Amino acid sequence: MAQALFNIFVFPGFLFVAAFGLTAEYIDRKLYALMQNRIGPPWFQPLADFIKLSAKEDVVPQHADKLVFKLMPIVAMTSILTAFIYIPMWGSNALFAFKGDLVVVMYLLTVPTLTYFLGGWYSRSVYSMIGAARSLTQLFAYEIPLFLSILAPAMLADTWSLSGISEYFSTHPWAILFNIVGFVIAIIALLGKLEKVPFDIPEAETEIVAGAFTEYSGRLLAMFRLAIDMELVVGASLLAAVFLPFGLHYGPAAGFALYLVKVLFIIGLISLARTIVARLRIDQMINFCWKVIAPLAFLQFLADLILKGVHN
Amino acid sequence: MLVEEEKIKQQLVERFGLSGEKITVQRERRVWADVPAAEFGEIFDYAANKLGFVILATITGLDEGPTLGAIYHLARESGIILNLHISVQRDKPVIKTVSARFPVADAYERELVDLFGMQVEGLPPGNRYPLPDNWPAGQYPLRKDWKSDTIGKSEVTENA
Amino acid sequence: MPEREVKLTIGPQHPMLKEPESFLLTLRGEKITEMTVRLGYNHRGIEKACEQRTYIQDMYLVERVCGICSHSHSMCLAQTIEEIAGLQVPKRGLYIRTLVAELERIHSHLLWLGVAGHEIGFDTLLMYAWRDRELVMDILAIISGNRVNYGMNVIGGAKRDITPDQIPQILAAVDTLEERTKYYIHVGTEEITLRERLSGVGKLSKEDAIRLGAAGPTVRASGVDRDTRRDDPYGAYGELSFDVVTDNHCDVYGRTLVRLGELMQAYKLIRQILKNLPEGPIAIKAPRKIPAGQAIGRYEAPRGEDVHYVKANGTDKPERVKLRAPTLANVQAVAHMLKDGYLADTPIVIAAIDPCFSCTDRAIATTNLDNGRTDRMEWPALRTYGIDWYSKQGIDFAELNRKLRTMRESN
Repeated sequence: MAQALFNIFVFPGFLFVAAFGLTAEYIDRKLYALMQNRIGPPWFQPLADFIKLSAKEDVVPQHADKLVFKLMPIVAMTSILTAFIYIPMWGSNALFAFKGDLVVVMYLLTVPTLTYFLGGWYSRSVYSMIGAARSLTQLFAYEIPLFLSILAPAMLADTWSLSGISEYFSTHPWAILFNIVGFVIAIIALLGKLEKVPFDIPEAETEIVAGAFTEYSGRLLAMFRLAIDMELVVGASLLAAVFLPFGLHYGPAAGFALYLVKVLFIIGLISLARTIVARLRIDQMINFCWKVIAPLAFLQFLADLILKGVHN
Repeated sequence: MLVEEEKIKQQLVERFGLSGEKITVQRERRVWADVPAAEFGEIFDYAANKLGFVILATITGLDEGPTLGAIYHLARESGIILNLHISVQRDKPVIKTVSARFPVADAYERELVDLFGMQVEGLPPGNRYPLPDNWPAGQYPLRKDWKSDTIGKSEVTENA
Repeated sequence: MPEREVKLTIGPQHPMLKEPESFLLTLRGEKITEMTVRLGYNHRGIEKACEQRTYIQDMYLVERVCGICSHSHSMCLAQTIEEIAGLQVPKRGLYIRTLVAELERIHSHLLWLGVAGHEIGFDTLLMYAWRDRELVMDILAIISGNRVNYGMNVIGGAKRDITPDQIPQILAAVDTLEERTKYYIHVGTEEITLRERLSGVGKLSKEDAIRLGAAGPTVRASGVDRDTRRDDPYGAYGELSFDVVTDNHCDVYGRTLVRLGELMQAYKLIRQILKNLPEGPIAIKAPRKIPAGQAIGRYEAPRGEDVHYVKANGTDKPERVKLRAPTLANVQAVAHMLKDGYLADTPIVIAAIDPCFSCTDRAIATTNLDNGRTDRMEWPALRTYGIDWYSKQGIDFAELNRKLRTMRESN
C-alpha cells in the first residue's frame, strides 16, 4: 500500500511528472528561444511562474459556473496523471498495466481537452467561449489521426496494452521502421492536442486573448498550466513508448536515462515544429487533418494490417 | 512648365464662370481655388469625375472668424493637387457630404463635425470621431474662441 | 460553434492591438458579418497645440505625433513651412533628410514584418525581423543620437551632418540588411503555412482600393501604381532613381511582398544617396516669423501618404496646422476587407495596413496650456496638482485614505 502511494504521489507519479513537466517546459522554451536567436528563460523560470501564480488571487467571474470553473484544472491534472501510470518508461512494463490499457490511456488523454472546453465555456466570457468551441472543434480533427496512428503499431503487435506493444517492438526492432509515417502523424496530432503552434488556434493570443484560459487566474491558472506541462510529458512518453521502444532491456538505470533522452527528443521535435511555422486558421487546420493526416494515418493502418497478414 | 495647372484653371473658369483671381496656381502641382459654397457640389463632382482628381487627400477645417472654412484637397495620380476652399456662415455652418463619392471622407467630415461644429448633410450614421462619447455638447475645440481650460468649467456627462 | 450571432469587442485594450482603438465584430461562427470601428482613444490635441506654439516648437511636437514615422511628420511639416516661407533648402540638407527618411522606412517595414509574424502566430519571424531592425536602429542612433524621434529636421534644412566615417558604417549595415531581406523574401514565398495564412486574406480589388482611398503599400499591393515620392517629388527623390513596387495579389500576401520590395528599393536609394551626397551647407537660417500664406505638403511615409496643411498668418505661430496620417485613409479599406472574413484573419488584416492610431488620432488639447508653453513640473508639484484637481471634483483623498486604513485594520 505504502509502495503504491509512493508510486502514485512521488515517483513516478505526481511529483516526478510535475517536476519533469516543468523541466520539459523549460527545455521547450529554451530551445524555442535559441532557435529564435534569443537567450531564453533561466532553468527555474517555469517553477517561479508556478509559485508566483499560486500566490496570486483566484478571480472567478461573476457569471461563471463556479463549481465547473474551479473543478476543471484538477480534473485535467488527475486524468493526465492517471494516464501516465499506464505508460511504460524504462522497461517494457508500465507501473500498472492491464489488457486494454491503450484505449484507456487514449481516452484519459482526451479528458484534458474536454476540461479546457468546459472551463472555458462556463467562464461565460466571449473570448473563452470562442476558445472553448475551437478546442472542441480541433479535438475532432486531430483525435482520429492520433488514434489511428497509435492503433497501427498496436495492431501489428496484436495487443491492446501499451506494455505489450513495447515488449513486442523491443523484440522486433525492425518492425518500428515500418511505422515512421505513423510517428510523424502522431507528432503532428500531438501538436494539436497540446495546442501548440501551428495548432494553438484555441488560445490564439492575438485573436481571442488566451482562449479558454482567458478568465483563469491565480492557483487555478497555475494548475492548468502545470496540467499542460504534464500533458506534454505524458504525450511525449506515450509516443516514446509506442514508436521508440529501443534499449528496454539494459536494466532500470540505463532504461530510465534512455527514456529521458527519447522524451526530450520528442519535445525537441515539438519545439522545432513551432519555431518554423505560422499558426493555421481553424478551417485550414481541419482541412489539413481530414484531407492529409487522416488518410495517411489510415494508409499506415492498412499497411500494418497487410504486413501482419503477410508476416503470419 | 505649368501647362497642366493652367489648363485646370482655364477649365474651371470657363465651365463655372469663376473669376480668374479666385484660382491661383501656386507652383508646380499646386492649384488653389476659392469656390462659392452654393456651386461647390457641382465643381467638386466635375473635378472628381471629369478632371481626373480621384484621390481625396483630406479635408481641412478652418476658423476664419465670421465664417468657417473647409478646404478639400483633391489629388490626381500624376501628383497635382487641387485645393477647393469654401466658406460657410459661422452661425449656420452647413455643408453637404462628399462621402458618397469618396467613402474615405467619412472620417474627415466627422472631424469637421466634432472639432468645428459643422453640420454635414447626408453623413451616414456611425460612431463619432475623434472626440470621446462623453464630450460636452457645443464645445468645438479647433474654433479659435475655444480655449483648452473651457472644458474644465463645463459639465462632463458620463456615458452620454 | 453554435450558429448564433456573437458580439466580440476587440479593444481598446487587447493583445492584438498595439495601440488603443476599438472594433466591434459581429460573428456568426468564425465568420465576421459586421464590423464597426471606434477611433479616437489616442487624441492628444496636437493640431490645437500646434496653433498655440511657435513653428520651432511645432517641429518638436509634430515629431512626436508617431513613434515610428516621426521623421515623416517632421519632414513633411518642415517642407510645408519652407514652401510658405519660400526657403530653398541646400542640396546636402535634402539628401540627409531623404537618407533618414529611407532608414526610417527600413525600420518601419521590418517592424511591420515582425508584427505581422506575431499576428499570425509566427513568433520566429517576429524575433528575426526585430533582431535585424536593431541594425538600422543603431545606424539611426549613430546619425542622429536617437533610436526614435531623430530630431534631424529643422526649418531650412537638416540639423546634423553626415560625417565621412559614418558612411562605411551605414553601407555595412545596409549590406547585411539586404542579405537578410533576401532571406525573408525567400521565406515569404516558400514557407507553406505563412503563404496559407496570408494568401487570399483581406482581399481588396484595384477598383475598391481606389474607391475607398487606400494609401501606401495597401493601395500598391492592389496593383495601383501610386507613390508620392515619384508623383510629387520632395527631398532628393527627384534626383534619385528607384522603382515603385506594386503587386497584383490584392491581399495581405501582396502587401507583404510590396513591403519587402520597398525594403530592397530603400537599400538601393541609400547607396545612391551616400554616393552622390553633395558638398555644402546642410541648412539655411529660417526666419522666426513665417509670412502669411498657405501650403500643402505631401510625403510618402512608410505606411502611406502623410498630408500636412499649414496656414501662416505672419506671426511666429501658425494659424492652422492640419495633419493627416495614412491610417485614417486606410480605415475604410480595413472595414471593407474584414467583412465576411474569418475572426482568425482579423489581426493580420488590421495589421496589414500597418495601422498607426496615434498618428491618426491627434487633434485636441484637453490639458491646460494657457500660456502656450509647458512649464516643468516637479513630481511633488504634480502630485499636489492632481490632489487639488480631484478635490475640486469632490473627491477627497484624505477621507478615502482614512477609510482604507480602517478597512485594513478591521481585517
